[in-house]
Amino acid sequence: MKSETVLELKDRTLQGLEDLGRFVRFFGESLSASARGIVRDETYPLITTQMNIIGVMSLPVIMVTGAFVGMTLAIQAYDQLAGMGLEEHLGVLINISVVKELGPVLAAVMLAGRIGGALTAELGTMHVTEQIDAVRSMGTDPVEYLVVPRFLACLLLTPLLIIYADLMGILGGYFISVIQLGINSQAYWSFSANGVDLWDVVVGIVKGFFFGAAISAISCYKGFTCKEGAKGVGQACTEAFVASFISILALDYILAVISKNIYNMFWPVKSLV
Amino acid sequence: MMLNDSQNSNSIILLKDVTKKFGNNVVLDKINLSIEKGKTTVIIGPSGCGKTILLKLMILLVRPTSGEVYFKGQRIDNLEEDELSKIRTNFGYLFQSGALFDSLTVAENIMFPVVQHYKVGRNGKIDELVKTKLALVGLDGFQNRYPAELSGGQRKRVALARAIALNPEVVLYDEPTTGLDPIRADIINELILKLKKGLGLTNVVVTHDMTSAYKVADRIIMLHRGKILADGDADHIRNHPHPVVQQFIRGQVSEEDLAVLRMTGTAAETQFLPRDFEK
Repeated sequence: MKSETVLELKDRTLQGLEDLGRFVRFFGESLSASARGIVRDETYPLITTQMNIIGVMSLPVIMVTGAFVGMTLAIQAYDQLAGMGLEEHLGVLINISVVKELGPVLAAVMLAGRIGGALTAELGTMHVTEQIDAVRSMGTDPVEYLVVPRFLACLLLTPLLIIYADLMGILGGYFISVIQLGINSQAYWSFSANGVDLWDVVVGIVKGFFFGAAISAISCYKGFTCKEGAKGVGQACTEAFVASFISILALDYILAVISKNIYNMFWPVKSLV
Repeated sequence: MMLNDSQNSNSIILLKDVTKKFGNNVVLDKINLSIEKGKTTVIIGPSGCGKTILLKLMILLVRPTSGEVYFKGQRIDNLEEDELSKIRTNFGYLFQSGALFDSLTVAENIMFPVVQHYKVGRNGKIDELVKTKLALVGLDGFQNRYPAELSGGQRKRVALARAIALNPEVVLYDEPTTGLDPIRADIINELILKLKKGLGLTNVVVTHDMTSAYKVADRIIMLHRGKILADGDADHIRNHPHPVVQQFIRGQVSEEDLAVLRMTGTAAETQFLPRDFEK
């Protein structure tokens, strides 16, 4: 009984590692194909189409997400700060949380759900109905034709969408703090301006490139390796979302550590203030 | 058996000792096969015997576990994907379900391989090409339809038009008549014959439709349990002494299978009346 469990554990671990290896290879292929794709004229119309689907059509949900993040933060944090008489500092708290963490992460999670699911389902269905094989059979690299436009569109547009999420988060926070809770507008903004660095905003936006790459690569990979039938496609979508979500959180942590170290390297004094 | 015809100078595709395994499941076991240029070779066999895998092996959509694949004397199973891409333009592949891109129109589907390999703008020439390819399969005028708006037979014909868009030397057909009514199936058969006679193409057809096999084949190969069981022209297959071949071509159930059916009780016993379940 025990040895069976151990054996199963071994099998699963090996399978997991194999899967990871295949993904890394797929990711490498996508990167090199993207580098080749950028210089090919034929890629651009494909990228534009994907940009429309991935970027333009995601804008409303991303903006709604951002606005609610800012509004909720204002409502939640107000009481605590007001208790200490620090309610005018609310802007710093809201805006730094929004631009550095919550805006990028929640926008990326939203994208993983909206885009990741759609990409996996689309490519998975193409795989199951042999359309991906058809692309290959006609002498075209399916990674170049199908993955590259989606990957590049996601990579370039996730940071832009994060800017929109940030903007709406800031406006949402302002709306609740100043208009509803009656904090002095000038104090709110001047504390915010002092507390939030350009660095914080940049870190949040840079995260977007990583999140975008992770979402699109994972979703395309899951679509390409999807199993037969409706069940296979459904399972691939679920796995793609879960894997994207976890990677977003893991990348967020890693990038937080890295950005903090870089910050301390360049502005060692400031962090002491 | 024609196993040692690999020296045949007319050979266009050659498989040498090709084995394909999925895990421990041996799908193809040391297959040696040479496909003759300008002829129609039909591969028959029961479902799940590895026919489709054999077809996919010929253009390396599936890689062999061991063995060698040659195209026009050049070994291709050890090539990288980008080199294979060039080789694959010599092939047309008709997928079982057609595998048309459902986000593209019929015309865009047929243009796809051409646009991918040649610098062509959207001008009159490409429209002319699409028109001639569609006319060949009898569907000129369907350019702006989407695959979802076509019937099963029409989809296969469009897929065939796309498969021959690059003027390939070899066309591989995966169950071209499956799921079609006898008349539409015969349209496909006629098209296969037309492509061979009119354009001198080499055809490899995988099917379990014997009417189609007899009609189009110059040579029929029967696969059974991963091996080639019979190989010859239509008459050779018709008169083949092996009982499995005879059962397959006549569509008869084997004695073993019948015995299992008899064991499982009479039909009358398995009938129930809904009222038996009422209290």
